Amino acid sequence: MTDVKFIIRTADQTRKAEVEMDRSSMGSDIVQAAVDNWALPTDTDYSLVNISTGKSLVPSQLLDENFVKPGDILEVQPVLVAGT
Amino acid sequence: MSFGMEPAARYLRHTLIDWFSQDDVSSARVGVVGAGAVGNEVLKCLALLGVGAIDIYDFDRIEVHNLTRSVLFRETDIGKDKATCAAERLRELDPNIKVAAYPGDFWRTLDLDAFAGYSAMICCVDNFEARIRLNLLCRLWGVSLINTGIDSRYAVVDTFPFSQSPDAGCYECGLPPSVYQRVSQRYSCGGLKKIAFIEKRIPTTVITASLAGSLAASQALRFGLPENRASRRIFADSIAGTSTSSELPQRADCPVCAQYRAPIQITRCRGGLHAALAPLAASETTAEITLPEPVIMSFQCKSCGLAQGQDKPLLWRAADHDAGLANCAGCGAEGAVEIEIRDKLAVELLAAAQQVPVPFVLSASDWGTQVFVLGRDSNNDGR
Ligand SMILES: [Zn+2]
Ligand SMILES: [Zn+2]
Repeated sequence: MTDVKFIIRTADQTRKAEVEMDRSSMGSDIVQAAVDNWALPTDTDYSLVNISTGKSLVPSQLLDENFVKPGDILEVQPVLVAGT
Repeated sequence: MSFGMEPAARYLRHTLIDWFSQDDVSSARVGVVGAGAVGNEVLKCLALLGVGAIDIYDFDRIEVHNLTRSVLFRETDIGKDKATCAAERLRELDPNIKVAAYPGDFWRTLDLDAFAGYSAMICCVDNFEARIRLNLLCRLWGVSLINTGIDSRYAVVDTFPFSQSPDAGCYECGLPPSVYQRVSQRYSCGGLKKIAFIEKRIPTTVITASLAGSLAASQALRFGLPENRASRRIFADSIAGTSTSSELPQRADCPVCAQYRAPIQITRCRGGLHAALAPLAASETTAEITLPEPVIMSFQCKSCGLAQGQDKPLLWRAADHDAGLANCAGCGAEGAVEIEIRDKLAVELLAAAQQVPVPFVLSASDWGTQVFVLGRDSNNDGR
């Protein structure tokens, strides 16, 4: 079990934190931690983007070396469903 | 009938842009699903750019509260259907382009025989289910897709270049599991739509709608370029003025990409479904056919025994019914009716059916996917 330290922020960049998570965590675990810790609206769904690599993290993606490197910035973005 | 001014003069400024090919734009055929806030802005851009053929799909009618976000609609349009009204306005904007309106649910009105001819589909709807359906169609038919979404601050535009990269990540590749839970909240445990379900309304303005609309139109011009082989998401903040662009990779457990593998073969059931499925029915392996939407097979009242579909399945679209079907029409007992709903059927069962009320059916295996296109609006007689 190894940990990785990275930065997580909200899309409006008003919330930002350095976190350390186990590499066996999934993208959806990070989203859940952000929603819980920052009391983000729970009637919205969220996806995760690695701003440093320019890649979206799929929900089931593990935080392995290919996807998250130490110091990377991960942004929690709301899934936008409206259009009218 | 009005005739446009000389097209060369109209598009003269476009031709001065080195990366802009008016010929390509004028020969493009783009379908837009949803003529609401984002749809209006997308359609406005496509028409002003001179996109040669634009098809508009929308089931809805214009209401007064749409007018703050709909550049194509007027107060005098209230009550008209959105697709037809938007089409009329686009023809006024540019009489040189061909615009067609398809009022109704695109899932029912789309001509699947002509679907592969689209240069791109642009999804401007307001719910996950329609996005999931259009994504499936585009992924199977290899039509490039642009998905849009907004709220009161952000705009998102996803591009899926399926026509040049069949293995590009799809819309469902990036959907978090919470979305499926949210969608399922609209359905009763039997799988039928709940009778009284109050949809959460997300407020939006024309600011995010126009941001999404112009980004989507811009991306529609850029399919086919070598740098656009991967699926991407542009996420823009209308207040901070910032945006991110990220690659949307394919997900190994995607409900679409993992199930429907290449090569994808599309067959038109000209001689009816029975003839088309005959080779599958005759094969050694027991084939199961997947329907793209659930159907009601049978029902039975636990109280009075009233039953239908036991000997021959009903094959009714579940979407045409709601959870009220659980209340017995015979004895009136509430919630007493057990309903069997399925989206997978044995091939023999389906081949024997006279009518199948879905636009197409699928046979998926590790070696590839076969799509059997049925007639429109449940006419499976091979017309
Ligand atoms: Zn996928
Ligand atoms: Zn009964």
